[in-house]
Amino acid sequence: MAAGGPTGERRFLDPGVLARLGTLELKARTIVEGFLTGLHRSPFKGFSVEFAEYRQYMPGDDLTTIDWKVYARSDRHYVKKYEEETNLGCHIMLDVSASMGYGSPGMTKLEYGSCLAASLAYLMNRQRDAVGLAAFDDRIVTMLPASARPGHLRGVLVTLERLRLGRQTDVSKPLHQLAESLSKRGMVVLISDLLDEPERVIRGLKHFQFRGTDVIVFQVLHIDELQFPFERATRFEDLETARHVTAVPVVVRDHYLRRMSELVDRYRRELGAVGIDYHLLDTSQPLELALLAYLSTRSRDY
Amino acid sequence: MAFLSPLFLLGALAAAIPLVLHLLRREPDTTVRFAAVDMLQHAPVEHAEKRRLRELMLLALRVAALALLAVAFARPFLSSSLAGAATGATVIALDTSYSLSAPGRFARAQQLARDAIAAAPRGHVVGVVTFADGATVVQAPSSDRALAASAVDAAGVGYGTTRYRAALTTAADAIGGGEGRIIVVTDLQASGWDTGDLVGLPARAQVEVVDVGVPPPNLALTGVRVSGDRLIATVRNVGPTARDVRLRLTVDGKPAGEAVGRVDADDSTDVPLPAAKGTSASIAVDDPEGIQADDARYFVFGESARPLVLVVTNAGDLNRDAFYTQQALLAAGADGAAFDVAGASGAKLSGWDSVTLGRHAAVIVQSTRGLDQRGRELVAEYVRRGGGVLVTSGLDVDAQVAAGAVGAAVESTALPPVTAAEARELAPADVRHPVFRTFASNVATLGLVKFRRIAVARGSSCHALARFSSGEAALLECTAGEGRVLVWASDLEGRENDFPVHATFVPFIHEVVTFLVGTRGRGRDLLVGSLPAGLPAEPGLRTLPGDARVVAVNVDTRESDGARLTSEQFAASIAPRQPAPDEAGSPADPREREARQQEARQGLWRYAILLMMAALAVESVIAARTT
Repeated sequence: MAAGGPTGERRFLDPGVLARLGTLELKARTIVEGFLTGLHRSPFKGFSVEFAEYRQYMPGDDLTTIDWKVYARSDRHYVKKYEEETNLGCHIMLDVSASMGYGSPGMTKLEYGSCLAASLAYLMNRQRDAVGLAAFDDRIVTMLPASARPGHLRGVLVTLERLRLGRQTDVSKPLHQLAESLSKRGMVVLISDLLDEPERVIRGLKHFQFRGTDVIVFQVLHIDELQFPFERATRFEDLETARHVTAVPVVVRDHYLRRMSELVDRYRRELGAVGIDYHLLDTSQPLELALLAYLSTRSRDY
Repeated sequence: MAFLSPLFLLGALAAAIPLVLHLLRREPDTTVRFAAVDMLQHAPVEHAEKRRLRELMLLALRVAALALLAVAFARPFLSSSLAGAATGATVIALDTSYSLSAPGRFARAQQLARDAIAAAPRGHVVGVVTFADGATVVQAPSSDRALAASAVDAAGVGYGTTRYRAALTTAADAIGGGEGRIIVVTDLQASGWDTGDLVGLPARAQVEVVDVGVPPPNLALTGVRVSGDRLIATVRNVGPTARDVRLRLTVDGKPAGEAVGRVDADDSTDVPLPAAKGTSASIAVDDPEGIQADDARYFVFGESARPLVLVVTNAGDLNRDAFYTQQALLAAGADGAAFDVAGASGAKLSGWDSVTLGRHAAVIVQSTRGLDQRGRELVAEYVRRGGGVLVTSGLDVDAQVAAGAVGAAVESTALPPVTAAEARELAPADVRHPVFRTFASNVATLGLVKFRRIAVARGSSCHALARFSSGEAALLECTAGEGRVLVWASDLEGRENDFPVHATFVPFIHEVVTFLVGTRGRGRDLLVGSLPAGLPAEPGLRTLPGDARVVAVNVDTRESDGARLTSEQFAASIAPRQPAPDEAGSPADPREREARQQEARQGLWRYAILLMMAALAVESVIAARTT
């Protein structure tokens, strides 16, 4: 596993460094290629299973790939080689509501989410999986149907590049909307801060479950939202509404952290209970961890 | 509202500091556009308006604290209209000497004083001074004339003698640097002025006399003496007609007989009393219409009244070694008191015991030759037990030996002699000290003495009562146990100065020795005006505090003299004096003094300080809750 080696964490790209890279395509390629390079020493082998050829066993090859039937016939060790192909349709749902605009310059939650979406798209496309994109705030604002065509990735990346912050969050409505539009089983990756009514969000995600679609949820939060590190009396203005609260952080910190913890715990608990993978990411974490989570789910279910 | 020190109000400008800091350092609320504002809902948040109000409260409290501090320093007071218009002061000097103790006399004096208060110019503050041997400000000048009237009502006649000097100087002090009037309500006793008295008063203090009137005919007992086994009383008749007198004798508290006599008009006579033996006696004369205080006289049988003074010289021969000092002590003083004198050498003194030395009322050390360690310890013990010692600084006095003898940390270094032209003069530094009180009106005469050779005397527990014109201390008073120690920085026998040939020498020696003697060797006949501390200023038979001796305290019979002054004669002893440059506009200005009195009475600054502390306390609480 990528993070398993003694220096595993250092192989991952720091989001700060990533932010200084140029286009989203470059970012995605850098992340994914680096990530896959790391996978050479990991148990993940890819998902497409079309047989290509036999090759004589070489020391170091995985014993599980040895074709024991051939061994029984020829008394020689051969390993199977497969050619990748896709049979998975995956939709990436990226939250572009105004609340995703929070973050440090160059790496807002939206930018982090876009980068994650791009990396996933790049990875899926490289594995011949069909990838689609749906950007939403309180509705789906941009929709690219899933496709595995070589040129489709570029379309996804360009779309991601052009995304702008939208309006108020209403996660459940786009979820239901997309769930209704999907015609066959597949996978949905939701990238959002999930700062919405949890009950409605979970109900929307269960809608995908009901239609046989696997769901991976990445809740992207900024470290400030997780730790509330403010010191001075501050006027907190809501990014999506005109609401504001003036508070002395030392007074409200415990209350805030308790509520945030309750929210995260509720997502983790209730989504886990219905078999939805839930991953909490903060914008300071390397994106490779998210890719790893995706691959883990992908290999488990497909 | 007025302020005693309004300049301190400038300190209120400091109240602008929090304002300026508030304005300069005011930072807009840090605003963060945040995604999870919902999480802050229902948190114990502080609303902006509430917080702003709290900040304004803090600011106001800080400003108020500084402003209150400035106000407290400015000494605020609520001024009355009279005080604001005060243009001068009227001080009533009310005579309370015993010459006003005849029936109805003091009541008339009080009425005249009240009249004077009522007649004081509009805009004047009015004060009251009572006087007899000394003077006391019983009511400082104030715009409240009722206070002055109350002070007059509360005054009572005493047993003292009239002293105009004390009255006028005290009243002038009460007026201070402003314009004022001194109304002297008195019976114009001629004895109130000492011979040659001339009181310098500020020219702006106008003196007026209100005459209580001619005293009634009076019989006074002016003296009692022993003749054989009988007592002889002297009775004075101050009146226009001859009078028969009846005297009653009481011995040791029991009636011991009566005597009668006749006294011609304005004359005195001796009246023999029945033979009596006892410890003490009192004689009274019937005089219901006259002055009451001089109708009785007290007497103590027994020892001589002349205190014994020891003079320590080289050989103990006073005729040769201490002639001037001996003669001065033997001379009769102004009040008839005199001293017995004994001489001893240092060596002889060293052989004495404390009982022998203790018989002496005072010791004058003019030589330390032969005074060995035992002698020094003996004298030091004498001082510690309350004895009085005068140490001179002649050539025969070793400073270290003398210091050891008196037990005081005194140093003395002889300076080389100077020529007659360079001779130093003497100037009292403390004219109120008992030694120089007699010279108060003639202090300049002490300056006529020329000192050719002096010593520099100093001591950590000493202070200078007089100085030479060159600045060195001439007479030091030192503390040593319960005794009194004086150090004279020259000699007393004319070897280093010409003091003995001056008229001031005898009174100086008398006053010095009287001070050293204190009550220790004093005779048993004391006057009301010169009692030691602890005795009431009333005639009678008293026990001296710390001495256990019974003494007779009598009134000063000079007050019984019926001689009176005219207003012109009274005024002749007053010399207008121009104020010193620094006296004009001094804090003693009546308006300012009135302001000070009002401020002191009201003490509003304390409330300002309390309010400031309260403001700071509230500020601390609010600030703690804010942060």
